[in-house]
Amino acid sequence: MNLQAIKILFLKDLFLSRKYLFAYLVAGIACSFLACAPSKTLSFLGFILTITVAIASGIHLIGTLMLGESTDQTRLFIMSLPVSLLEYAIGKIAVVLTTYLIPWGTMLLLTTGLTFIMPDATRGAIIVVPAIYLFLLAGFSLQLITAVAFESVGATIAVMVGCNVLLNVFMMQLFAIPEVAEIVKGDAIVWPSSVVWIVFVELTIVVLSIAFAFAMQTRKRDLV
Amino acid sequence: MSAINNTVDSQLAIHLESVGKRYKHFELKNVSLCIPKGTVAGLIGPNGAGKTTTMRILMGLVTPDHGTVRVLGQAISTNETAVKKEVGYFSDDMRLYKPESVSWHIQFVKSLFPSWDDEYADELTRRFGLIPEQSIKSLSHGQRVKTMLLLILARRPKLLILDEPTNGLDPVAKYEVHTEIMRVVKDEDRTILYSSHNTQDVEQICDSITFIDRGQVIASSDCSEFLAKWRRIKVVVPDGWHPPALDGLGLDSELNRYRVLTTSAYTEDVHELLNRSGAAIESVEALSLEEIFVQSVIRGRG
Repeated sequence: MNLQAIKILFLKDLFLSRKYLFAYLVAGIACSFLACAPSKTLSFLGFILTITVAIASGIHLIGTLMLGESTDQTRLFIMSLPVSLLEYAIGKIAVVLTTYLIPWGTMLLLTTGLTFIMPDATRGAIIVVPAIYLFLLAGFSLQLITAVAFESVGATIAVMVGCNVLLNVFMMQLFAIPEVAEIVKGDAIVWPSSVVWIVFVELTIVVLSIAFAFAMQTRKRDLV
Repeated sequence: MSAINNTVDSQLAIHLESVGKRYKHFELKNVSLCIPKGTVAGLIGPNGAGKTTTMRILMGLVTPDHGTVRVLGQAISTNETAVKKEVGYFSDDMRLYKPESVSWHIQFVKSLFPSWDDEYADELTRRFGLIPEQSIKSLSHGQRVKTMLLLILARRPKLLILDEPTNGLDPVAKYEVHTEIMRVVKDEDRTILYSSHNTQDVEQICDSITFIDRGQVIASSDCSEFLAKWRRIKVVVPDGWHPPALDGLGLDSELNRYRVLTTSAYTEDVHELLNRSGAAIESVEALSLEEIFVQSVIRGRG
């Protein structure tokens, strides 16, 4: 395996997505601050916008970096270079994940940090932050699998819509857990086993989805 | 036996043996092709004949269902990266990154090829009239083709696989592209496989030609051999005349006592056989490569 080739492909895609990455990063930071605003309306708006940025950036990055090369026929150019299918798959999945994780991670850290800093915020709310963000990441991973398997914008959007709908159900169920409902109202940070399990399941989905996407990409017989 | 095979392989730039690939509406059927190193080979076929699929198989972009594929003496299935280092592939379907400039693409490709020739790249940039700072989206079709050729040629590949490189080019751009390919041809170590549905393009530069139609190789020979063996013969015949049974001889058209025959195996013996059958030869004409191609396709389709 040629690590130099993977690095070149990775940096190429990072460079090509630099404008989107910057835009999503700025939007994510702004929305995270807004989500911690003292006004309940602004805070709710900020929360909704934060989730919107996470979902929109995911589908957009998959669309441009993963599916775009196939529809724009630039993949034919890349695969004519001395790059194996394995190197292409590693570089591609790594860059899609990285470009998503940069704004996602920034928003997660900012939301957690600001919940600590903001005087009006209840610190107990921190326990739901990783569960919600990991749900978004799991949704992104499922969209990634769909994009790799079907190479279809329509199918990927359908999975994104499904994940979006399920997010509302998930949050309703999460806040309906009695111990969670109790902890988020107070300042004490206690990690109930239900939340730990949810986080574990979400992480498992993320890891399995990425492994599956990688395996599918490397097993393709025809790449163009 | 294996030693003989290795020797043969070392002299071949491309060696396809019984290669097949089935799609829903198309099948490449047992394609076999041997192209010696240092030659220029043309692959001619109508649209949808299987030229692009064959070339993609050669580049490892499409995996055949069966058959052997060796490029520059190496199996593409196990040595994809090593082979691609020595091969420059151009496809009419290939696209570059629209927002980025010509020089960005040069730097990107250069980073993957230690053999990149900066001087040659600069020379090609000048000769093709390209502006390095210009973005791909602002280039004309001809300029995009030239940019892609620059990206291929400046890495000095041993084998060039060119899939319809002059498609959609104006006559001047086509001339410039051909001139550059002719320069490459002068280097005796380099091999070129050039596909087109335009026989004139191929005739100018190729030593050998393979005709492909409906996923099958229908004829393959040296250019000069094709031109020497094919003839159109106009004869005047008596009533009730039937063409003599002769391999490669076919009846094209008839009008009153005139018959137009075409042969793919022309020798002086054909005259004698026709005379013996009662036909009087009016004229014998050489066929152009395009006519040979059309005849081969029609005969191949039965």
